[in-house]
Amino acid sequence: MSSTSVSRPADLKGHGFLFQQLVQRELRQKYQGSVLGLLWYLVNPLLLLGAYYLMFGVVLKPGFSHPAYPLFIMTAMVVWLFVQQTLPAAGDSLLAQAALLRKARFPREIIPTAVVTVQALTFAALLAIVAVLTVAFRGTLGFPLLLLPVVVVLLILFVQGLALAISGLHAHFRDVQPIVGAILVPWFFVTPIFYRPTDITDQELARFALEWVNPVAPFAEAVRTILYDGNVPSAATLLYLVLAAAGALVVGAALFRRLQRDLAVML
Amino acid sequence: MSGTYDQHGVPAGTIELAAATRSFRVQADAGRTLKELVLRTGARRKGIAGPDEVWALRGVDLRIEPGETVAIVGRNGAGKSSTLRVLAGIVPLDGGSVRVGGHVAALLDLAAGFSRDFTGRENILMGGALYGLTRRQVEDRLDEMVAFSELGEFVDLPLKAYSSGMLVRLAFAIVAFLDADVLLIDEVLAVGDGAFQRKCEERIASQVAGGSTLVLVSHDLSLIERTCARTVLLEGGRVAADGPTSEVLAGYVRLLEQEAAPVRGTDHLADVAAGTTGPVAVPTSPEDDA
Repeated sequence: MSSTSVSRPADLKGHGFLFQQLVQRELRQKYQGSVLGLLWYLVNPLLLLGAYYLMFGVVLKPGFSHPAYPLFIMTAMVVWLFVQQTLPAAGDSLLAQAALLRKARFPREIIPTAVVTVQALTFAALLAIVAVLTVAFRGTLGFPLLLLPVVVVLLILFVQGLALAISGLHAHFRDVQPIVGAILVPWFFVTPIFYRPTDITDQELARFALEWVNPVAPFAEAVRTILYDGNVPSAATLLYLVLAAAGALVVGAALFRRLQRDLAVML
Repeated sequence: MSGTYDQHGVPAGTIELAAATRSFRVQADAGRTLKELVLRTGARRKGIAGPDEVWALRGVDLRIEPGETVAIVGRNGAGKSSTLRVLAGIVPLDGGSVRVGGHVAALLDLAAGFSRDFTGRENILMGGALYGLTRRQVEDRLDEMVAFSELGEFVDLPLKAYSSGMLVRLAFAIVAFLDADVLLIDEVLAVGDGAFQRKCEERIASQVAGGSTLVLVSHDLSLIERTCARTVLLEGGRVAADGPTSEVLAGYVRLLEQEAAPVRGTDHLADVAAGTTGPVAVPTSPEDDA
Protein backbone atom coordinates (compact mmCIF):
# COMPACT_ATOMS: atom_id res chain seq x y z
CA MET A 1 0.00 0.00 0.00
CA SER A 2 1.18 3.41 -0.52
CA SER A 3 1.48 6.90 0.55
CA THR A 4 0.31 9.67 -1.58
CA SER A 5 0.98 13.04 -0.24
CA VAL A 6 -0.12 16.08 -1.81
CA SER A 7 -0.88 19.61 -1.11
CA ARG A 8 -2.34 22.51 -2.89
CA PRO A 9 -0.53 25.74 -3.29
CA ALA A 10 -2.30 28.56 -1.66
CA ASP A 11 -4.90 27.43 0.73
CA LEU A 12 -5.58 24.36 2.69
CA LYS A 13 -9.23 25.18 2.55
CA GLY A 14 -9.77 23.22 -0.65
CA HIS A 15 -10.23 20.06 1.36
CA GLY A 16 -14.00 19.89 1.38
CA PHE A 17 -13.98 16.65 -0.57
CA LEU A 18 -11.53 15.10 1.88
CA PHE A 19 -13.82 16.06 4.73
CA GLN A 20 -16.77 14.55 2.91
CA GLN A 21 -14.84 11.34 2.24
CA LEU A 22 -13.85 11.03 5.88
CA VAL A 23 -17.42 11.53 7.06
CA GLN A 24 -18.70 8.94 4.58
CA ARG A 25 -16.04 6.47 5.65
CA GLU A 26 -16.70 7.02 9.30
CA LEU A 27 -20.40 6.40 8.76
CA ARG A 28 -19.88 3.33 6.63
CA GLN A 29 -16.98 1.70 8.39
CA LYS A 30 -18.82 1.63 11.68
CA TYR A 31 -21.72 -0.49 10.64
CA GLN A 32 -20.65 -1.97 7.34
CA GLY A 33 -21.98 -5.46 6.91
CA SER A 34 -24.57 -5.16 9.64
CA VAL A 35 -28.23 -5.73 8.91
CA LEU A 36 -29.56 -2.60 10.53
CA GLY A 37 -26.63 -0.58 9.22
CA LEU A 38 -26.86 3.08 10.04
CA LEU A 39 -29.96 2.47 12.12
CA TRP A 40 -27.66 1.20 14.86
CA TYR A 41 -26.71 4.79 15.43
CA LEU A 42 -30.28 5.35 16.58
CA VAL A 43 -31.11 1.97 18.08
CA ASN A 44 -28.37 2.07 20.69
CA PRO A 45 -29.29 5.45 22.17
CA LEU A 46 -32.97 4.54 22.13
CA LEU A 47 -32.27 1.31 23.99
CA LEU A 48 -30.20 3.25 26.48
CA LEU A 49 -33.02 5.75 26.98
CA GLY A 50 -35.40 2.88 27.60
CA ALA A 51 -33.06 1.30 30.14
CA TYR A 52 -32.61 4.54 32.04
CA TYR A 53 -36.32 5.17 32.12
CA LEU A 54 -36.88 1.70 33.51
CA MET A 55 -34.21 2.25 36.13
CA PHE A 56 -34.98 5.75 37.28
CA GLY A 57 -38.65 6.01 36.42
CA VAL A 58 -40.06 2.62 37.28
CA VAL A 59 -37.69 0.62 39.47
CA LEU A 60 -36.13 3.28 41.68
CA LYS A 61 -39.22 5.48 42.11
CA PRO A 62 -37.63 8.84 42.91
CA GLY A 63 -39.13 11.16 45.52
CA PHE A 64 -40.15 13.70 42.94
CA SER A 65 -42.27 13.43 39.86
CA HIS A 66 -42.58 15.01 36.47
CA PRO A 67 -45.41 14.41 34.06
CA ALA A 68 -44.51 12.32 31.02
CA TYR A 69 -41.33 11.32 32.81
CA PRO A 70 -39.77 9.44 29.83
CA LEU A 71 -39.92 12.65 27.81
CA PHE A 72 -38.48 14.60 30.72
CA ILE A 73 -35.51 12.23 30.72
CA MET A 74 -35.13 11.99 26.97
CA THR A 75 -35.01 15.71 26.27
CA ALA A 76 -31.93 16.05 28.46
CA MET A 77 -30.51 12.63 27.71
CA VAL A 78 -30.05 13.27 23.98
CA VAL A 79 -27.69 16.10 24.83
CA TRP A 80 -25.72 13.94 27.20
CA LEU A 81 -25.50 11.05 24.72
CA PHE A 82 -24.02 13.33 22.10
CA VAL A 83 -21.29 14.45 24.49
CA GLN A 84 -20.70 10.96 25.81
CA GLN A 85 -20.36 9.34 22.39
CA THR A 86 -18.36 12.08 20.72
CA LEU A 87 -15.55 12.70 23.18
CA PRO A 88 -14.08 9.17 23.26
CA ALA A 89 -14.52 8.79 19.49
CA ALA A 90 -12.72 12.07 18.87
CA GLY A 91 -9.98 11.13 21.30
CA ASP A 92 -9.11 8.11 19.23
CA SER A 93 -9.54 9.73 15.84
CA LEU A 94 -6.00 10.93 15.08
CA LEU A 95 -4.51 7.59 16.01
CA ALA A 96 -7.07 5.78 13.90
CA GLN A 97 -6.18 7.90 10.87
CA ALA A 98 -2.44 7.97 11.44
CA ALA A 99 -1.88 6.51 7.97
CA LEU A 100 -3.54 9.50 6.35
CA LEU A 101 -1.58 11.92 8.51
CA ARG A 102 1.67 10.35 7.36
CA LYS A 103 0.53 10.46 3.79
CA ALA A 104 -0.43 14.00 3.06
CA ARG A 105 -0.38 17.61 4.05
CA PHE A 106 -3.86 18.74 4.96
CA PRO A 107 -5.41 20.57 7.89
CA ARG A 108 -5.30 18.03 10.69
CA GLU A 109 -8.48 19.46 12.24
CA ILE A 110 -10.41 17.72 9.49
CA ILE A 111 -10.05 14.35 11.21
CA PRO A 112 -11.60 15.08 14.63
CA THR A 113 -14.09 17.39 12.93
CA ALA A 114 -15.31 14.53 10.72
CA VAL A 115 -15.88 12.43 13.84
CA VAL A 116 -17.82 15.24 15.51
CA THR A 117 -19.85 15.68 12.33
CA VAL A 118 -20.87 12.03 12.21
CA GLN A 119 -21.92 12.14 15.85
CA ALA A 120 -23.70 15.44 15.32
CA LEU A 121 -25.73 13.91 12.49
CA THR A 122 -26.76 11.06 14.78
CA PHE A 123 -27.58 13.54 17.49
CA ALA A 124 -29.70 15.61 15.11
CA ALA A 125 -31.64 12.54 13.96
CA LEU A 126 -32.26 11.39 17.51
CA LEU A 127 -33.19 14.90 18.63
CA ALA A 128 -35.66 15.18 15.77
CA ILE A 129 -37.44 12.03 16.97
CA VAL A 130 -37.43 13.18 20.59
CA ALA A 131 -38.60 16.67 19.60
CA VAL A 132 -41.55 15.41 17.57
CA LEU A 133 -42.63 13.05 20.36
CA THR A 134 -42.24 15.64 23.09
CA VAL A 135 -43.96 18.44 21.25
CA ALA A 136 -46.82 16.12 20.34
CA PHE A 137 -47.35 14.73 23.83
CA ARG A 138 -46.66 17.90 25.77
CA GLY A 139 -48.34 20.31 23.37
CA THR A 140 -45.33 22.59 23.42
CA LEU A 141 -45.53 23.75 19.84
CA GLY A 142 -44.61 27.41 19.87
CA PHE A 143 -42.08 30.07 19.09
CA PRO A 144 -39.56 28.90 21.74
CA LEU A 145 -38.87 26.01 19.33
CA LEU A 146 -37.13 28.52 17.09
CA LEU A 147 -34.36 28.65 19.68
CA LEU A 148 -33.72 24.92 19.45
CA PRO A 149 -31.43 25.14 16.38
CA VAL A 150 -29.45 27.90 18.08
CA VAL A 151 -28.91 25.77 21.17
CA VAL A 152 -28.00 22.77 19.00
CA VAL A 153 -25.41 24.74 17.04
CA LEU A 154 -23.88 26.10 20.24
CA LEU A 155 -23.75 22.59 21.68
CA ILE A 156 -22.03 21.22 18.58
CA LEU A 157 -19.46 24.02 18.70
CA PHE A 158 -18.85 23.37 22.38
CA VAL A 159 -18.31 19.66 21.72
CA GLN A 160 -16.13 20.44 18.72
CA GLY A 161 -13.86 22.51 20.98
CA LEU A 162 -13.57 19.69 23.50
CA ALA A 163 -13.02 17.16 20.69
CA LEU A 164 -10.12 19.17 19.27
CA ALA A 165 -8.49 19.41 22.67
CA ILE A 166 -8.98 15.75 23.53
CA SER A 167 -7.87 14.41 20.16
CA GLY A 168 -4.72 16.52 20.17
CA LEU A 169 -3.87 15.63 23.74
CA HIS A 170 -4.54 11.94 23.27
CA ALA A 171 -2.19 11.80 20.29
CA HIS A 172 0.58 12.96 22.62
CA PHE A 173 -0.41 11.26 25.83
CA ARG A 174 -2.19 7.96 25.50
CA ASP A 175 -3.70 8.31 28.97
CA VAL A 176 -6.08 11.02 27.87
CA GLN A 177 -8.78 8.88 26.33
CA PRO A 178 -9.00 6.47 29.30
CA ILE A 179 -9.13 9.48 31.60
CA VAL A 180 -11.98 10.95 29.57
CA GLY A 181 -13.76 7.59 29.66
CA ALA A 182 -13.41 7.50 33.43
CA ILE A 183 -14.60 11.07 33.89
CA LEU A 184 -17.69 10.46 31.77
CA VAL A 185 -19.15 8.02 34.30
CA PRO A 186 -19.46 10.39 37.30
CA TRP A 187 -20.08 13.24 34.87
CA PHE A 188 -23.27 11.51 33.77
CA PHE A 189 -24.61 11.30 37.30
CA VAL A 190 -23.94 14.93 38.18
CA THR A 191 -25.63 16.03 34.97
CA PRO A 192 -29.30 16.78 35.72
CA ILE A 193 -30.90 14.29 33.34
CA PHE A 194 -33.38 12.22 35.29
CA TYR A 195 -33.85 15.01 37.84
CA ARG A 196 -33.70 18.76 38.10
CA PRO A 197 -31.33 20.18 40.70
CA THR A 198 -34.31 21.57 42.60
CA ASP A 199 -35.71 18.03 42.87
CA ILE A 200 -32.86 16.67 44.87
CA THR A 201 -31.45 19.46 46.98
CA ASP A 202 -32.55 22.53 48.91
CA GLN A 203 -29.05 23.78 49.39
CA GLU A 204 -28.37 26.91 47.40
CA LEU A 205 -24.73 26.09 46.77
CA ALA A 206 -25.30 22.50 45.67
CA ARG A 207 -28.02 23.62 43.30
CA PHE A 208 -25.85 26.33 41.86
CA ALA A 209 -23.04 23.83 41.33
CA LEU A 210 -25.31 21.30 39.63
CA GLU A 211 -26.76 23.95 37.38
CA TRP A 212 -23.68 25.88 36.34
CA VAL A 213 -20.38 24.20 37.16
CA ASN A 214 -20.93 21.33 34.79
CA PRO A 215 -21.07 22.91 31.34
CA VAL A 216 -23.23 20.13 29.90
CA ALA A 217 -26.02 20.89 32.39
CA PRO A 218 -27.10 24.25 30.94
CA PHE A 219 -27.15 22.74 27.43
CA ALA A 220 -29.29 19.82 28.57
CA GLU A 221 -31.59 22.08 30.56
CA ALA A 222 -31.94 24.52 27.67
CA VAL A 223 -33.10 21.74 25.32
CA ARG A 224 -35.48 20.44 27.98
CA THR A 225 -36.84 23.91 28.70
CA ILE A 226 -37.61 24.43 25.02
CA LEU A 227 -39.04 21.00 24.21
CA TYR A 228 -40.52 19.74 27.47
CA ASP A 229 -41.63 23.00 29.10
CA GLY A 230 -42.27 24.94 25.93
CA ASN A 231 -40.44 27.90 27.43
CA VAL A 232 -37.57 30.13 26.41
CA PRO A 233 -34.38 29.41 28.37
CA SER A 234 -33.28 32.24 30.65
CA ALA A 235 -31.04 34.94 29.28
CA ALA A 236 -28.36 33.83 31.72
CA THR A 237 -28.53 30.30 30.30
CA LEU A 238 -28.27 31.50 26.71
CA LEU A 239 -25.34 33.74 27.55
CA TYR A 240 -23.69 30.83 29.34
CA LEU A 241 -24.13 28.62 26.26
CA VAL A 242 -22.56 31.22 23.99
CA LEU A 243 -19.61 31.67 26.32
CA ALA A 244 -19.15 27.93 26.84
CA ALA A 245 -19.17 27.27 23.10
CA ALA A 246 -16.82 30.15 22.32
CA GLY A 247 -14.50 29.28 25.20
CA ALA A 248 -14.27 25.60 24.33
CA LEU A 249 -13.71 26.36 20.67
CA VAL A 250 -11.01 28.98 21.24
CA VAL A 251 -9.11 26.90 23.77
CA GLY A 252 -9.58 23.65 21.83
CA ALA A 253 -8.44 25.14 18.54
CA ALA A 254 -5.42 26.84 20.11
CA LEU A 255 -4.39 23.66 21.88
CA PHE A 256 -4.83 21.61 18.74
CA ARG A 257 -2.74 24.00 16.70
CA ARG A 258 0.08 23.59 19.16
CA LEU A 259 -0.21 19.83 19.37
CA GLN A 260 -0.69 18.99 15.70
CA ARG A 261 2.78 19.96 14.52
CA ASP A 262 4.54 16.63 14.69
CA LEU A 263 1.59 14.29 14.27
CA ALA A 264 3.01 12.68 11.14
CA VAL A 265 6.21 11.86 12.99
CA MET A 266 4.89 10.68 16.31
CA LEU A 267 1.89 8.60 15.35
CA MET B 1 12.46 26.75 17.14
CA SER B 2 10.33 26.15 14.13
CA GLY B 3 10.79 26.30 10.40
CA THR B 4 8.43 27.42 7.72
CA TYR B 5 6.68 25.65 4.87
CA ASP B 6 5.68 27.96 2.11
CA GLN B 7 3.98 27.35 -1.20
CA HIS B 8 4.19 30.91 -2.38
CA GLY B 9 6.96 33.05 -3.63
CA VAL B 10 8.57 30.52 -5.93
CA PRO B 11 7.43 29.49 -9.42
CA ALA B 12 5.54 26.21 -9.81
CA GLY B 13 7.93 23.27 -9.80
CA THR B 14 10.64 25.09 -7.87
CA ILE B 15 11.99 23.69 -4.62
CA GLU B 16 14.03 25.72 -2.21
CA LEU B 17 15.45 24.55 1.08
CA ALA B 18 17.29 27.18 3.09
CA ALA B 19 19.25 26.26 6.21
CA ALA B 20 16.73 23.47 6.69
CA THR B 21 17.12 21.76 10.02
CA ARG B 22 15.25 18.86 11.50
CA SER B 23 16.09 16.38 14.21
CA PHE B 24 14.25 13.44 15.67
CA ARG B 25 14.24 11.98 19.11
CA VAL B 26 15.85 8.59 19.15
CA GLN B 27 13.43 7.25 21.71
CA ALA B 28 10.38 7.30 19.53
CA ASP B 29 8.16 6.28 22.40
CA ALA B 30 9.27 8.91 24.85
CA GLY B 31 6.53 10.95 26.37
CA ARG B 32 3.68 8.82 25.16
CA THR B 33 2.05 8.63 28.54
CA LEU B 34 1.65 11.17 31.28
CA LYS B 35 3.80 9.07 33.55
CA GLU B 36 6.71 9.24 31.15
CA LEU B 37 6.18 12.96 30.69
CA VAL B 38 6.35 13.49 34.44
CA LEU B 39 9.44 11.32 34.76
CA ARG B 40 11.13 13.08 31.88
CA THR B 41 10.32 16.53 33.18
CA GLY B 42 11.63 15.50 36.57
CA ALA B 43 14.83 14.20 35.04
CA ARG B 44 15.33 17.41 33.10
CA ARG B 45 14.91 19.48 36.17
CA LYS B 46 17.67 17.50 37.82
CA GLY B 47 19.88 18.26 34.87
CA ILE B 48 19.81 14.81 33.36
CA ALA B 49 19.84 14.98 29.59
CA GLY B 50 16.63 14.26 27.71
CA PRO B 51 16.36 11.67 24.99
CA ASP B 52 19.09 11.76 22.38
CA GLU B 53 18.35 13.40 19.09
CA VAL B 54 19.42 12.40 15.62
CA TRP B 55 19.82 14.95 12.89
CA ALA B 56 17.88 14.24 9.74
CA LEU B 57 18.63 17.60 8.18
CA ARG B 58 21.38 19.81 9.45
CA GLY B 59 21.43 23.11 7.64
CA VAL B 60 20.54 21.91 4.17
CA ASP B 61 20.50 24.45 1.35
CA LEU B 62 19.12 23.18 -1.91
CA ARG B 63 17.49 24.77 -4.89
CA ILE B 64 15.80 22.74 -7.58
CA GLU B 65 14.45 24.39 -10.71
CA PRO B 66 11.21 23.44 -12.49
CA GLY B 67 11.62 20.42 -14.74
CA GLU B 68 14.77 19.16 -13.04
CA THR B 69 15.16 15.48 -12.22
CA VAL B 70 17.02 15.04 -8.98
CA ALA B 71 17.97 11.89 -7.13
CA ILE B 72 18.80 11.92 -3.45
CA VAL B 73 21.26 9.26 -2.36
CA GLY B 74 22.99 8.47 0.87
CA ARG B 75 23.30 5.70 3.37
CA ASN B 76 20.46 4.70 5.65
CA GLY B 77 19.82 7.48 8.11
CA ALA B 78 21.46 10.13 5.97
CA GLY B 79 18.25 12.14 5.80
CA LYS B 80 16.86 11.16 2.40
CA SER B 81 13.36 10.20 3.41
CA SER B 82 13.16 13.04 5.87
CA THR B 83 14.00 15.42 3.07
CA LEU B 84 11.12 14.10 0.99
CA ARG B 85 8.74 14.35 3.93
CA VAL B 86 9.83 17.90 4.57
CA LEU B 87 9.29 18.75 0.90
CA ALA B 88 5.84 17.15 1.05
CA GLY B 89 4.99 19.33 4.02
CA ILE B 90 4.24 16.36 6.23
CA VAL B 91 7.16 16.80 8.58
CA PRO B 92 7.78 20.36 9.76
CA LEU B 93 11.27 21.82 10.03
CA ASP B 94 12.85 22.78 13.33
CA GLY B 95 14.59 25.66 11.66
CA GLY B 96 15.15 27.20 8.26
CA SER B 97 12.61 27.25 5.50
CA VAL B 98 11.24 25.16 2.68
CA ARG B 99 9.44 26.55 -0.31
CA VAL B 100 7.76 24.35 -2.85
CA GLY B 101 5.98 25.95 -5.77
CA GLY B 102 2.76 24.50 -7.12
CA HIS B 103 1.05 21.18 -6.50
CA VAL B 104 3.07 18.50 -4.80
CA ALA B 105 2.38 14.78 -5.14
CA ALA B 106 4.34 12.33 -3.07
CA LEU B 107 4.60 8.58 -3.17
CA LEU B 108 6.36 7.98 0.08
CA ASP B 109 6.09 4.50 1.45
CA LEU B 110 4.29 1.31 0.68
CA ALA B 111 3.56 0.44 4.26
CA ALA B 112 0.56 2.62 4.90
CA GLY B 113 -2.22 4.69 3.54
CA PHE B 114 -4.97 2.65 1.97
CA SER B 115 -8.03 1.21 3.65
CA ARG B 116 -8.28 -2.49 3.09
CA ASP B 117 -12.03 -2.55 3.56
CA PHE B 118 -12.66 -0.17 0.69
CA THR B 119 -12.53 -0.81 -3.02
CA GLY B 120 -9.80 0.43 -5.34
CA ARG B 121 -12.21 3.00 -6.72
CA GLU B 122 -13.03 4.31 -3.24
CA ASN B 123 -9.36 4.49 -2.40
CA ILE B 124 -8.75 6.48 -5.55
CA LEU B 125 -11.40 8.96 -4.43
CA MET B 126 -9.73 9.24 -1.05
CA GLY B 127 -6.31 9.61 -2.65
CA GLY B 128 -7.55 12.47 -4.79
CA ALA B 129 -9.29 14.02 -1.79
CA LEU B 130 -6.04 13.98 0.16
CA TYR B 131 -4.49 15.88 -2.70
CA GLY B 132 -7.13 18.55 -2.29
CA LEU B 133 -9.04 17.71 -5.46
CA THR B 134 -12.81 18.01 -5.73
CA ARG B 135 -14.99 14.99 -6.44
CA ARG B 136 -15.42 16.16 -10.02
CA GLN B 137 -11.67 16.53 -10.55
CA VAL B 138 -11.01 13.03 -9.24
CA GLU B 139 -13.79 11.51 -11.29
CA ASP B 140 -12.41 13.16 -14.40
CA ARG B 141 -9.12 11.35 -13.85
CA LEU B 142 -10.58 8.11 -12.61
CA ASP B 143 -10.67 6.25 -15.93
CA GLU B 144 -7.06 7.10 -16.71
CA MET B 145 -5.97 5.97 -13.27
CA VAL B 146 -7.88 2.70 -13.48
CA ALA B 147 -6.56 1.98 -16.96
CA PHE B 148 -3.00 2.70 -15.93
CA SER B 149 -3.22 0.52 -12.85
CA GLU B 150 -4.27 -2.48 -14.98
CA LEU B 151 -6.57 -3.54 -12.16
CA GLY B 152 -9.50 -4.36 -14.43
CA GLU B 153 -12.46 -5.62 -12.48
CA PHE B 154 -10.46 -5.66 -9.27
CA VAL B 155 -10.96 -1.92 -9.02
CA ASP B 156 -14.39 -2.58 -7.55
CA LEU B 157 -13.19 -5.14 -5.03
CA PRO B 158 -11.95 -4.30 -1.53
CA LEU B 159 -8.21 -3.93 -1.25
CA LYS B 160 -7.88 -7.00 0.92
CA ALA B 161 -8.40 -9.01 -2.26
CA TYR B 162 -5.35 -7.37 -3.90
CA SER B 163 -1.87 -8.72 -4.35
CA SER B 164 0.98 -6.46 -3.23
CA GLY B 165 1.76 -5.78 -6.88
CA MET B 166 -1.76 -4.56 -7.47
CA LEU B 167 -1.50 -2.23 -4.51
CA VAL B 168 1.69 -0.71 -5.88
CA ARG B 169 0.08 -0.23 -9.27
CA LEU B 170 -2.92 1.46 -7.70
CA ALA B 171 -0.77 3.69 -5.54
CA PHE B 172 1.38 4.76 -8.44
CA ALA B 173 -1.59 5.29 -10.76
CA ILE B 174 -3.15 7.76 -8.33
CA VAL B 175 -0.03 9.84 -7.93
CA ALA B 176 0.96 9.68 -11.57
CA PHE B 177 -2.27 11.27 -12.75
CA LEU B 178 -2.59 14.07 -10.24
CA ASP B 179 -0.83 16.46 -12.63
CA ALA B 180 1.48 17.65 -9.90
CA ASP B 181 4.18 20.27 -10.45
CA VAL B 182 6.47 18.42 -8.08
CA LEU B 183 6.68 14.63 -7.88
CA LEU B 184 8.30 13.14 -4.79
CA ILE B 185 8.99 9.42 -5.01
CA ASP B 186 10.60 7.27 -2.36
CA GLU B 187 11.93 3.89 -3.35
CA VAL B 188 8.58 2.40 -4.29
CA LEU B 189 9.28 1.78 -7.95
CA ALA B 190 11.33 -1.25 -7.13
CA VAL B 191 8.28 -3.20 -6.04
CA GLY B 192 6.27 -3.70 -9.22
CA ASP B 193 7.18 -6.18 -11.93
CA GLY B 194 9.58 -5.22 -14.68
CA ALA B 195 6.96 -4.28 -17.24
CA PHE B 196 5.06 -2.06 -14.84
CA GLN B 197 8.28 -0.43 -13.66
CA ARG B 198 9.07 0.56 -17.22
CA LYS B 199 5.56 1.92 -17.60
CA CYS B 200 6.01 4.00 -14.45
CA GLU B 201 9.32 5.32 -15.67
CA GLU B 202 7.72 6.30 -18.96
CA ARG B 203 4.87 8.02 -17.18
CA ILE B 204 7.32 9.94 -14.99
CA ALA B 205 9.36 10.87 -18.05
CA SER B 206 6.29 12.27 -19.76
CA GLN B 207 5.39 14.23 -16.63
CA VAL B 208 8.91 15.64 -16.57
CA ALA B 209 8.72 16.44 -20.26
CA GLY B 210 5.56 18.35 -19.42
CA GLY B 211 7.52 20.50 -16.98
CA SER B 212 7.13 18.62 -13.68
CA THR B 213 10.00 18.42 -11.24
CA LEU B 214 11.04 14.99 -9.99
CA VAL B 215 12.77 14.21 -6.73
CA LEU B 216 13.58 10.54 -6.32
CA VAL B 217 15.02 8.71 -3.36
CA SER B 218 16.39 5.34 -4.27
CA HIS B 219 19.14 2.83 -3.69
CA ASP B 220 18.75 1.59 -7.26
CA LEU B 221 21.68 3.29 -8.94
CA SER B 222 20.74 2.22 -12.44
CA LEU B 223 17.22 3.63 -11.99
CA ILE B 224 18.82 6.89 -10.90
CA GLU B 225 21.09 6.94 -13.92
CA ARG B 226 18.12 6.38 -16.21
CA THR B 227 15.78 8.95 -14.67
CA CYS B 228 17.76 11.69 -12.97
CA ALA B 229 20.17 14.24 -14.43
CA ARG B 230 21.26 15.57 -11.08
CA THR B 231 22.09 13.77 -7.85
CA VAL B 232 22.44 15.04 -4.31
CA LEU B 233 24.44 13.00 -1.82
CA LEU B 234 23.35 13.39 1.78
CA GLU B 235 25.60 12.45 4.64
CA GLY B 236 24.56 12.87 8.24
CA GLY B 237 21.86 15.33 7.34
CA ARG B 238 24.14 17.54 5.27
CA VAL B 239 24.68 17.88 1.54
CA ALA B 240 27.97 16.08 0.86
CA ALA B 241 27.88 16.35 -2.92
CA ASP B 242 25.59 17.87 -5.49
CA GLY B 243 26.06 17.71 -9.25
CA PRO B 244 25.56 15.68 -12.43
CA THR B 245 24.40 12.17 -11.63
CA SER B 246 27.40 10.38 -13.14
CA GLU B 247 29.91 12.35 -11.06
CA VAL B 248 28.07 12.21 -7.77
CA LEU B 249 27.26 8.53 -8.12
CA ALA B 250 30.89 7.72 -8.85
CA GLY B 251 31.88 9.45 -5.63
CA TYR B 252 29.09 7.72 -3.74
CA VAL B 253 30.13 4.27 -4.95
CA ARG B 254 33.74 4.99 -3.92
CA LEU B 255 32.50 6.05 -0.50
CA LEU B 256 30.54 2.86 -0.09
CA GLU B 257 33.44 0.72 -1.26
CA GLN B 258 35.88 2.33 1.15
CA GLU B 259 33.52 1.66 3.95
CA ALA B 260 32.35 -1.82 3.09
CA ALA B 261 35.52 -3.33 1.60
CA PRO B 262 37.34 -4.16 4.82
CA VAL B 263 34.32 -5.85 6.29
CA ARG B 264 32.33 -7.31 3.50
CA GLY B 265 32.81 -8.79 0.09
CA THR B 266 31.95 -7.15 -3.17
CA ASP B 267 28.23 -7.09 -2.73
CA HIS B 268 28.06 -3.95 -0.63
CA LEU B 269 25.56 -2.20 -2.82
CA ALA B 270 23.15 -5.00 -2.19
CA ASP B 271 23.88 -4.61 1.49
CA VAL B 272 23.07 -0.95 1.31
CA ALA B 273 19.90 -1.68 -0.55
CA ALA B 274 18.89 -4.28 1.97
CA GLY B 275 19.60 -1.87 4.76
CA THR B 276 22.22 -4.08 6.33
CA THR B 277 25.05 -1.59 6.10
CA GLY B 278 25.82 -0.10 9.45
CA PRO B 279 23.47 2.35 11.09
CA VAL B 280 24.37 5.96 10.65
CA ALA B 281 23.63 7.48 13.97
CA VAL B 282 24.94 10.99 13.99
CA PRO B 283 26.25 11.97 17.38
CA THR B 284 24.45 14.89 18.89
CA SER B 285 26.30 17.54 20.74
CA PRO B 286 24.77 18.47 24.09
CA GLU B 287 24.03 22.09 23.23
CA ASP B 288 21.82 20.96 20.37
CA ASP B 289 19.33 19.26 22.60
CA ALA B 290 16.02 21.01 22.24
